Amino acid sequence: MKISYNWLKDYLAIDLPAEEVAEVLTQIGLEVEGLEKQTSVEGGLEGLVVGHVLSAEQHPNADRLRVTKVDVGAEEVLDIVCGAPNVAAGQKVVVATVGTMLYPTEGEPFKIKKGKIRGEVSMGMICAEDEIGLGHEHDGIMVLPAEVKVGTPVREVIEIKEDDIIEIDLTPNRSDATCHIGVAKDLAAALKIAKGLDVQVKMPEAAKATAGSGASVDVVVNRTDLCPRYAGVVLTGLTVKESPEFIRERLEAIGVKTINNIVDVTNFILHEMGQPLHAFDADKIKGKKIVVDALPQDTGFVTLDGDERKLSEQDLIICDADMDGMCIAGVYGGLGTGVTDSTTSIFLESACFDAGNTRRTSKRHNLRTDAAMRFEKGVDPNGCVIALKRAVDLILESAGGVVSSEFVDIYPEPIAPKEIRLKYRHVTRLLGIDIPAEEIREILAALEIEILSSDEESMLVRVPSNKTDVYREADVIEEILRIYGIDRVPLPATIQSSIAYEQKPNGYKVEQQISDFLASRGLQEIVAPSVSKSKYYSEEEQAGGMVSLLNSMNSELDAMRMEMCYSGLEVIHRNQNHKNNDLALFEFGKTYRKEEGAYIETRHLTCYICGRAAGENWKEQPAKADFYDIKRTVDELVARLGLKINATEPCEESKFVYGMLYKSQNRPLVKFGRLAEPVLKKLSVKGPVFYAEFDVKQIMSGLKSKKVKFAGLNKFPSMRRDLALVIDEQVKFESIRAMGMKAGKHILQDINLFDIFQDEEKLGVGKKSYSVSYLFQDAKKTLKDGDVDRVMNKLMKQYEEQLGAIIRK
Amino acid sequence: MSAEIFDKANSLLAEIEAYDITDAASLEAFRIRFLGSKNVLKGLFAEMRNIDPDRKKEFGLLVNKVKQAAAGRHETMSGSLSSTSSGAVDVPDMSLPAGNRHAGGRHPLTVVQNRMVEIFGRLGFAVVEGPEIDDDWHNFTALNTPEDHPARDMQDTFYVQLEPAMMLRTQTSSAQAHEMEKGELPIRIISPGRVYRNETISARAHCQFHQVEGLYIAENVSFADLKQTLVYFAKEMFHADIKVRLRPSFFPFTEPSAEMDITCLICGGPGCTVCKKTGWVEILGCGMVDPNVLENCGIDSEKYTGFAFGIGVERTAMLYYQVDDLRLFFENDMRFLKQFRSVLQ
Repeated sequence: MKISYNWLKDYLAIDLPAEEVAEVLTQIGLEVEGLEKQTSVEGGLEGLVVGHVLSAEQHPNADRLRVTKVDVGAEEVLDIVCGAPNVAAGQKVVVATVGTMLYPTEGEPFKIKKGKIRGEVSMGMICAEDEIGLGHEHDGIMVLPAEVKVGTPVREVIEIKEDDIIEIDLTPNRSDATCHIGVAKDLAAALKIAKGLDVQVKMPEAAKATAGSGASVDVVVNRTDLCPRYAGVVLTGLTVKESPEFIRERLEAIGVKTINNIVDVTNFILHEMGQPLHAFDADKIKGKKIVVDALPQDTGFVTLDGDERKLSEQDLIICDADMDGMCIAGVYGGLGTGVTDSTTSIFLESACFDAGNTRRTSKRHNLRTDAAMRFEKGVDPNGCVIALKRAVDLILESAGGVVSSEFVDIYPEPIAPKEIRLKYRHVTRLLGIDIPAEEIREILAALEIEILSSDEESMLVRVPSNKTDVYREADVIEEILRIYGIDRVPLPATIQSSIAYEQKPNGYKVEQQISDFLASRGLQEIVAPSVSKSKYYSEEEQAGGMVSLLNSMNSELDAMRMEMCYSGLEVIHRNQNHKNNDLALFEFGKTYRKEEGAYIETRHLTCYICGRAAGENWKEQPAKADFYDIKRTVDELVARLGLKINATEPCEESKFVYGMLYKSQNRPLVKFGRLAEPVLKKLSVKGPVFYAEFDVKQIMSGLKSKKVKFAGLNKFPSMRRDLALVIDEQVKFESIRAMGMKAGKHILQDINLFDIFQDEEKLGVGKKSYSVSYLFQDAKKTLKDGDVDRVMNKLMKQYEEQLGAIIRK
Repeated sequence: MSAEIFDKANSLLAEIEAYDITDAASLEAFRIRFLGSKNVLKGLFAEMRNIDPDRKKEFGLLVNKVKQAAAGRHETMSGSLSSTSSGAVDVPDMSLPAGNRHAGGRHPLTVVQNRMVEIFGRLGFAVVEGPEIDDDWHNFTALNTPEDHPARDMQDTFYVQLEPAMMLRTQTSSAQAHEMEKGELPIRIISPGRVYRNETISARAHCQFHQVEGLYIAENVSFADLKQTLVYFAKEMFHADIKVRLRPSFFPFTEPSAEMDITCLICGGPGCTVCKKTGWVEILGCGMVDPNVLENCGIDSEKYTGFAFGIGVERTAMLYYQVDDLRLFFENDMRFLKQFRSVLQ
């Protein structure tokens, strides 16, 4: 909302710098988000002086130019080359001396330089109107009245109007401050209390208009629920023309287009008093009757902008005797009854429409007009007639004519200002400060909140009906705080806190630890969008509970992600486009799904590895990332968290070419593997990409059951045995390991694979050789060779019999 | 017999002490002779059985002395040889690049969010989470924002297709309602999380972003407490002598409401495009929990008061790191992310 400082000063005799006013307004909750100096002449005519043309001779080298000598009140008379046909000796003219910035009406500002024009020195410029931003006149230089004194700054000769435009970001609760008088009142209260200034808001003169006895219009309000008050009057004998200058100036300052002396007054009152008005051409009101009612669904209605709209049966409409719509109440007028240049009589409406309904209608038709914005915040029902009468005064002043009818005022159930009990101890409790009762009184008085009665503990106050959002004790306390000043609330020296116990395990903290761990293992954290694209999913997948969004402003972003991997692949795609191909990423995020009527949000940790597993270096050719890189990441994290994996099995999900699933507590903990080509193709990602997806809930559940208990230090020596096993290619290491751990019971601590060897000539086709180490240690005694040999012999036998292994000795 | 063997041991001892070790090669020859797997000292141990029983102990001590002398001489000499940089030990080109591992790092948004969680954690605020897909009650109605309230215009909401009573939460304030409904008082929580607005994505707006919500409800919580907590936060988050101001504002779920500004970190005060030439930038909204909200969630507003606040994580990160385009946070371009690799939390 734009506020003109000059306009504000019509009601408030202050002379503070605009910056200071802006600061005070911000401090009381009318946040100033822009402050702009407005001047009727750009540049403010800075640097221009009155000159006296002493002589004007023909330029020796150019027919159209004159060489002049100009006295500008300085020591030296200036030589100036001038191209204007009307320049003549004896004139008083506007001179731009060297160094002056000129702001022409059209085109870019430029600086006057000392120069030579066709060989003649020119020490400035004699200006035309358009060259100094005063108008469009370019036929010749400006000639000033003979009596002006040489050397006078031009801005003392030509009047410049300046204003400061204060842009306020008005919050929805401030129905009282939607206009200049409202802002002036709030500002006055703050200046009184905070700055101790003795300022009073000067209200416009009481209206002179009195009722007439001529032509009138009947008004019937059928929907008093949506229109608590409806007032209006008929004016006749009007002449529609341009508005008086003071109205145009005020409206233009705040960017309101001026139209004519009727419409401009309605806008003027809106911005002065916050009361929207509407003027109907009275001659076009059929049956000289106004009916306030709703019309049947889909009734057509042509609004002022020429568009035909379909009305809703919820819209409140101002109709004529034939129940034809004339205006969407409080929102927008109709084309048929608008004021035109030939209008001579009007019906001027000043009403109070229901906030919620006006808002719905305004949104339904996407007509966010100034009037609608005020009605939906709540217009003061007790201000309608005052505003109407002032508007009548202003219209009659410029358009002539008379009040023809009575002042219609349909207000069946007057809305009384609210009375609220305010307890001092509640002020102290809510704000944490003791404001003396005397100061509370002063603040309330400054806000025009009347104190009806008071005792030692409380007071009964009456809130003006223009403060529609102040209706409870807490609201009054907020009003007090605003004007008292948040600045003045002291900071307590000690902290008041309640005791809070943390959840165990602390999921948030665990996630941070995991993130730090992965980051230090070379993975980069990403934060990818969860609003995603439905097109990533097949129809079948979508049917599995996709959460689709209504009316997304961003085409394609129409669903919540069902799978983590697509948003990560988007990131990989973007980076591959920028030639960052070697990537190791991780993300904590959610997937979303509707299952059996409930919305399920599942938190995941995902990791991605693609490109080369290490940076290019001199020690070794960096290998391409492979399955074991993602597996190592998974294993290291599982080990860091101390989670127990109780089952590993292939993961059959179609997003993997091949993948593995680890379970803990018999539930899936993490699946990882190589992402399938069709998945990568959806995002044009160059593969292979290795991917892991943890279920965060399962991580936490594993941590919850985990306890570390110190087991004492094992002081007995360990023994190691190595085996070289030649086996079929299909034999999985897991079989070797599992068999070993089973046979080794409590004394076998670890099994490791330390070499793989394949050679068709030496081993035969389809064979491989695994070198496996076994580490033995007993917690209670020193192992003897015999203890270990027994296990190894049994194991070798099992390997031979069950895996068909040949043991190389 | 014993005497001969004793002599042999003593001569070995003398040899060890006199052995001419000048370079790596002679050191290695020494090692092989006296400490290798087939060293000469092994012969002495083998002679043990030939010693008179009453001199066995004496011999054992001597052999040990020989062995220790060999080990000691080896250690001394290998130490002195390498320290004289005689060329026996290669000094690597220490300027060669060492690393071949990728560098990892944290995302700037989580770094900033964690700082917030950590600061409030120190003041006793525990972390709780709320759902992102929520119903109208928790996101709006319980928070004193009924249908038709102009405050709903402040936020463009994503509704769920086929079930428009459900929506993506527009503010982490929804977590407040969930927490209050649990009925356990006092409450002192923060709730970091993702929120959504149906807006066109641009340098200054996104359809999703993060907030950290805070809520403290107990007996006798006042606006002064709120101010104290948030001024402390701003100073901890940015720096101790930053200028902070609170100014009245409006949120449907708080009364009184305020917003907190800090001096613009981009221009330092004189005004720039980021602060819209005011010298101040808003970092959070806050206020005393509206009595209607308390009552909606079954809390006795006569007995309890409380404060709530909500901080934009992206906005804070933009100021903190002077990032001028919001989209960068969600694009995850490595050229962007790697600039934050050295950032600790």
